[in-house]
Amino acid sequence: MRRTFPFIVLIVIAGGILWFFPLFHVVSLKQAQDEKTAATFNPAQFAENFWTDKLLPSLAKAVPAEKLLPAIQHDPANAKKQFAHTLGMSDSYTYFLSGTGRVIAVSDDEISLALTVGSTNDEVTLPTGLLFGNAVRDGTGLLDVNAYPNSQDFNNIAAELNHLVETRVLPGLKEHAKVGATVRFAGCAEVDDESTDLKPLHVVPIQAEVE
Amino acid sequence: MKNYLTKLASTLAMALMAFTAFSTHAADAPKTKIAVVISTLNNPWFVVLAETAKARATELGYDATIFDSQNDTAKEAAHFENLIAGGYKAVLFNPTDANGSVANVLKAKAAGVPVFCIDREINATNAATSQMLSDSYSGCVALGQYFVKTVGTEGQYAELLGIVGDNNTWNRSKGFHSVVDRFPGLKMVAQQSADFDRAKGLEVFEAILQKNPDLKAVFCGNDAMAMGAYQALVAAGKDKQVKVFGFDGADDVVKLIAEGKIAATGMQFPKLMAQKAAEYADEYLKGKRDFQQKIPVKVDLVTPANVGKYGDFGKK
Repeated sequence: MRRTFPFIVLIVIAGGILWFFPLFHVVSLKQAQDEKTAATFNPAQFAENFWTDKLLPSLAKAVPAEKLLPAIQHDPANAKKQFAHTLGMSDSYTYFLSGTGRVIAVSDDEISLALTVGSTNDEVTLPTGLLFGNAVRDGTGLLDVNAYPNSQDFNNIAAELNHLVETRVLPGLKEHAKVGATVRFAGCAEVDDESTDLKPLHVVPIQAEVE
Repeated sequence: MKNYLTKLASTLAMALMAFTAFSTHAADAPKTKIAVVISTLNNPWFVVLAETAKARATELGYDATIFDSQNDTAKEAAHFENLIAGGYKAVLFNPTDANGSVANVLKAKAAGVPVFCIDREINATNAATSQMLSDSYSGCVALGQYFVKTVGTEGQYAELLGIVGDNNTWNRSKGFHSVVDRFPGLKMVAQQSADFDRAKGLEVFEAILQKNPDLKAVFCGNDAMAMGAYQALVAAGKDKQVKVFGFDGADDVVKLIAEGKIAATGMQFPKLMAQKAAEYADEYLKGKRDFQQKIPVKVDLVTPANVGKYGDFGKK
């Protein structure tokens, strides 16, 4: 009995320590999966929240097209300096603009608008097909690449925002924008470099209303 | 008067001697050391990255040394141990693994050695002083759009992936698939890693080609693998049937695009990134501290239509 007593004390002490500081926790598989999902960045959810909370309220800050388009035609370099956003080291840049135009042509994948009174030239086009690129993510300057330790998350946001435009904005635009109709739009244009022809300016709409 | 002149002459002589001694000492003083740690030198693109970084650091007055991690995180960790112990004052770093390399950068930071990532990122924003990163995803979105335009919206294709642990591998693959997967008629029949390596690219693509004789195209995560795939196609007599798409802007691939043998690549700018990283390190060592954490660097799409504008790992 005397010999076993120290072992019993040792076991009780060890048991006490393990009770307060367990080596592992047993959790249900569902709980573990839920915790993992919660810890993983969800680009679709992020884009949804960003769209509602930040993007739509920011549309009032878009540069009016009647100000931007003449500025581009007059001095593209100065217009870029004054109104464009550039991400990192790049020749490409984005504009965030809004305006009202008359539909002068409709094709399978885009709608052409004339904005100047009496003009018959397409000054802005709005896409109606598949969307690719970073125009919406980068155009407003609201998102900062430095906030994402893994740039894959930042890239996935671009794809999710394009998906929201494709599902929320383009179907109505495609259905109602006939030649002669008036379209009020706000959106972002991605320009490849300074040699890009900006007549017309290709704008990805975040909002488009047809009258 | 004579006495005065003698005194003046001796004073001038002493001043001259002191100046000469100081100048000699300054010339002999050891230069500040900068390390250039590169994921692998077994790829010409990374050799350009390393040598440009070293050359620019040397130009700026530093003693720069290149360390080759041979795509091995253990070797990379050993390099960091050695360079911290060896008194290097800054690291121009091309990481081997986005997650695995974080600990090395943190170790350097703890030792007061700033790290400037080039081309590849680490999955942390609190470790490196700054990260100058190729915008691989956007580059591959453009490449994917060109792929659909040239290959069409139907047919079989294969993909050669880079190193599985590297973010660039997935940024490129995801950028490409964000476009191509929207066209259900384009079927990816094989997707395998060839570790960004030309010899592995050849070996892996030979096997893919044998199993899939009807391929119309192959998208490769870098130009070294694209060269390997092209070599396999030439050997199999299928180089006219299968279009090859690479990524990097390596000189040999740019030349083959000009000859109409490779369809397209994404031009990264290794020289620009390496030079900027060396300049950032110089600015840091001279006292600047406010660096942007991540600086994406645009990737240009290079096709037969605009290939004349590119060469020597950048824009002409």
